[in-house]
Amino acid sequence: MDFKLIFEEIKKNLKDLVGERVADFKTEGKKDIDAFLKKSEDKLKRWTELLATGGLTLDDYKWLVESQKDLVTLEALYQAGVSKIKLGHLKNSIINTIVNTVIGMVI
Amino acid sequence: MKLKSTKVLPLLVAFFLFNSCNVFKTALFDQHSYQQTVTLKVESLALMDKASEPYANHQAKAEDVLLEMQKMVEYEKNKENNNITHKMWEIMANEERNLMAGFLKRWKNQGPLNQVFVTEAKGQIAEAYDVLIKYESKKSTTNQNALLNLINNQ
Repeated sequence: MDFKLIFEEIKKNLKDLVGERVADFKTEGKKDIDAFLKKSEDKLKRWTELLATGGLTLDDYKWLVESQKDLVTLEALYQAGVSKIKLGHLKNSIINTIVNTVIGMVI
Repeated sequence: MKLKSTKVLPLLVAFFLFNSCNVFKTALFDQHSYQQTVTLKVESLALMDKASEPYANHQAKAEDVLLEMQKMVEYEKNKENNNITHKMWEIMANEERNLMAGFLKRWKNQGPLNQVFVTEAKGQIAEAYDVLIKYESKKSTTNQNALLNLINNQ
């Protein structure tokens, strides 16, 4: 049996696997980020109206805007963490693909 | 036909290097972390409802919440591959930031807070806790899948 053949088979299987997963990351991640930005925009609009009508002081307003900045940081950490978890799944799938390819062709 | 070991060796080396790569590792789901975050969310929001009253009337509870948050920072810090959750808790428990600890600092320094502000801030803090809870739950799904895979492959 030719090792090059096994290696080509692994490469092909991995390409298929990574191709599928990367498309998933892009679509899902972008959707979450868009939803979060939309939510930030709605809040800023509401706080600005409350500031204009005297419901919030300037200090309150500044505090809330800063809190939104901290929330964006938490959300970014969350997105990074979720991608890391998914990459962990991908790593496991890659290992399984290598093992299964070798088992299928050698044993 | 068997492959020569010299040909398989580089593949095995790559396999083990890849498998040991810490970049992909995330701490496992932790029931204590999940439960403690949910408890702190409920207690924090209940405390915030009192923020239009003098801080002194609720100082003991506020200090208790702050202490519990500090305990979470330390607890999460000492878990392996857990830098994201640890960083999230550091932000929540930092009095110089504008989430739960920052809110308590403002209440302590400024006295009773405007009710409109409290309502808006409460929404922010609830969302922050939800991010922490959601992230811990994601870890849970990973482990369940890993366990199911293990069982199914037996």
